[in-house]
Amino acid sequence: MSAPNCLRGLGLGLGLTRPVALRNVAVTAAPCAAAAAAASFSTSAYLQAIIARPKKKAVEVAFGHHRAGKKMKLSKFKKANKGDRGKAPAPGERKAYRKRILLSNNNAIPVAGLQDFAPETMLDPSSAAKVLSIPDAVVDQLRTIEAFKTTQSWSIFRKPSMLVRAETVELATRMQGAAANKQALRLVATGDKLTGKSMLLLQAMTHGLLNDWIVLNIPEGQELTTASTEYAAIPGTANPVQYMQQNYALRLIQNFRKANEKVLVRLMTVFAHPELPQNIPVNSPLLQLANSAKEPENAWPIFQALWKELMAPGRGRPPVLFTLDGLPHIMKVSDYRSATFEPVHAHDLALVRLFSDCLSGAVAFPNGGAVIAATTRSNGPRTPSMELALAQREAEQSKSVVPAPEAFVKYDERVAAALRTVQVMRLKGVSKLEARSLMEYWAASGVFRTTVDEAVVTEKWTLGGSGILGEIERAALMTMRL
Amino acid sequence: MMASIRQNLTGALRGSCPSLRGQWQTLDQQFQALRLGSFAARSSRCVSTAAPNPDQPWGAIQAAPEIDVARLRVAKHARPMPVSPSYFSRQPHFNDSYLTLQKMMQSYGNLPTIPASEVERIAWNTLEDIRQTLGEPVKASEYVRCIELVKRLHQIHPKLKPEPVKQALAAFKRNVQPFTNVTNPIPIDKFGRALGVGRRKSSVARAWVVEGNGEVQINGKNLADAFGRVHDRESAVWPLRATQRVDKYNVWALVEGGGTTGQAEALTLAIAKALMAHEPALKPALRRAGCVTRDPRKVERKKHGHVKARKMPAWVKR
Repeated sequence: MSAPNCLRGLGLGLGLTRPVALRNVAVTAAPCAAAAAAASFSTSAYLQAIIARPKKKAVEVAFGHHRAGKKMKLSKFKKANKGDRGKAPAPGERKAYRKRILLSNNNAIPVAGLQDFAPETMLDPSSAAKVLSIPDAVVDQLRTIEAFKTTQSWSIFRKPSMLVRAETVELATRMQGAAANKQALRLVATGDKLTGKSMLLLQAMTHGLLNDWIVLNIPEGQELTTASTEYAAIPGTANPVQYMQQNYALRLIQNFRKANEKVLVRLMTVFAHPELPQNIPVNSPLLQLANSAKEPENAWPIFQALWKELMAPGRGRPPVLFTLDGLPHIMKVSDYRSATFEPVHAHDLALVRLFSDCLSGAVAFPNGGAVIAATTRSNGPRTPSMELALAQREAEQSKSVVPAPEAFVKYDERVAAALRTVQVMRLKGVSKLEARSLMEYWAASGVFRTTVDEAVVTEKWTLGGSGILGEIERAALMTMRL
Repeated sequence: MMASIRQNLTGALRGSCPSLRGQWQTLDQQFQALRLGSFAARSSRCVSTAAPNPDQPWGAIQAAPEIDVARLRVAKHARPMPVSPSYFSRQPHFNDSYLTLQKMMQSYGNLPTIPASEVERIAWNTLEDIRQTLGEPVKASEYVRCIELVKRLHQIHPKLKPEPVKQALAAFKRNVQPFTNVTNPIPIDKFGRALGVGRRKSSVARAWVVEGNGEVQINGKNLADAFGRVHDRESAVWPLRATQRVDKYNVWALVEGGGTTGQAEALTLAIAKALMAHEPALKPALRRAGCVTRDPRKVERKKHGHVKARKMPAWVKR
């Protein structure tokens, strides 16, 4: 063992070694402080000098001196400027691309023998488990009222076609029965994710349009309640104050007019509407009334007038179909605020209130019709009140044990009232026969390149969670490398 | 002389000296001979202390008779041989046991045997096992010869097998006998269900498979709800798909632990086992589909000095 080591072991090392350190530097540091001796070894000044010094080579700029030590470099993964990146998309272009709906694809094979929907098709039990296409005229109407969704894969087929399932026939039959009795079918379609709730709504609308019903559709409940459209208090309402959404109402009326033009043109007004700025004399076409909605200011009064006219009893009015997708969004407190910054319940928004009153039966349909709402799962807020109400209705219908409310959950009485008497249609997986019919359509369209036999049908049916339509589609079409 | 001794000794150690046995057995006799011989020599060469016979004067003294070397045979060994012929070796144990086996082979080699296919399967100690337990550098070729003897002795008809042979063979048996582990066959209960258990990573799955039409329920949810990823769904029902039995069985499964991939692949194993209970003939097909063997891979443990299991801290210059 060397002497310095021995001494260091005795605690004398510091005293002995410091003079060696001091020998190398100018003796400007405080003689007593060991820290000063350590500071004299700092390389930070040197490093700063390296960084401050302009570098000649690009490599040295990028990596610094090879003895510079460790330093954070946030621009490590940043790519070099690529130069011209082309024209940026115009404002709104990206959204339009995201929201566009392609209903036809010329590359898809036209399916031979594919029949169109006829007015009675959906009432016929023998058309269950068949794929039928929507007539072109109806496609335009449906597109106008925004019945098609971006999540539905219309764009890989030649023509919009739908599978008629057992529930479709049942729904159409119920609608027709209600219309015959001059009553309203009040129904909520619910079910797991991707079970075809929106598609059932689309089928109901198709049935309505084919049978010359008046169809009014609110494509997304959330558009009304997420505070994304303008609102204003309706004068003269109090406790609670109600709100109109004029811009939304205007768009709704315009879409409604375009889709139902054929029917509206032959319906005549039976009421005078002195509250409207335009003079709409009695016995003028309803289309004229709808056409009078040109700006948002009077959209809501015109909507009310239209509704009043459509509900006029005993004037040969056709049945009215009122549909809404995304029910949980309107069964909660909305994102709107009152003048005192209190949250506004969704049912205080006039349009939503109209729908919920229709659903609860508070608004009568003297000419018959249907109010159909669909729940949403993937994009739905959790609404315990709605879930409980639907579970209770379902249990009542199936005559099983009605679930009791939970003790520590705060339920919304207005939601419970709105759903107190609705019918609930729960969508589940389709049968293998229906799945097979759909797969044969896919195969005929050239997007499902397999022989459709029992084994393949069962396999996809199982992978799709026992016949959940959207999941079958995912398993069969979307995982294929086309 | 030395060469012949060495040869004899090596031969003795190897057990190849045919005369060894005789030599050992006559050891006592040889001692006897040694004693007798010395007594005889003393008797002939003694000096008497008695008074000399006056009738026979000194002139009558005769020369001693010629020594008969043939008669005076001395013993080969001045002290007893050690019991073990491996006494002078530093690694005697393997040699001893080999010699024991060889002796037994000589003694009992003629006993009737049974065909090798009917002999009880036994896992013998491997070369590495023997090296470990004895601590001797056993040669592979010697091990092979020894194990051949063991197997030959083991082939002796069980009813005639002598007790010493059994004891000698027991020393060569491995402690853990894998051939005694017989898997319990999975029963099919009165409802037609077979329960299979599968594991993967840290997931455990129990699958009840029953004849049906292709319905699957996992933890009370359907397949699509249980696994969001289509790949995982395919993994879960892969045994049925690979054997084209999707539409023939229903599955009701409980799975817990781990993540989605682990759960899906645990289900693969569970369903495959239950399916094999229904149709044992599917085993080769399932093995080809990779549904029979448990995937032993697990999360590798973190080591000290490493950032993760293998990742090392970045090298920093001072």
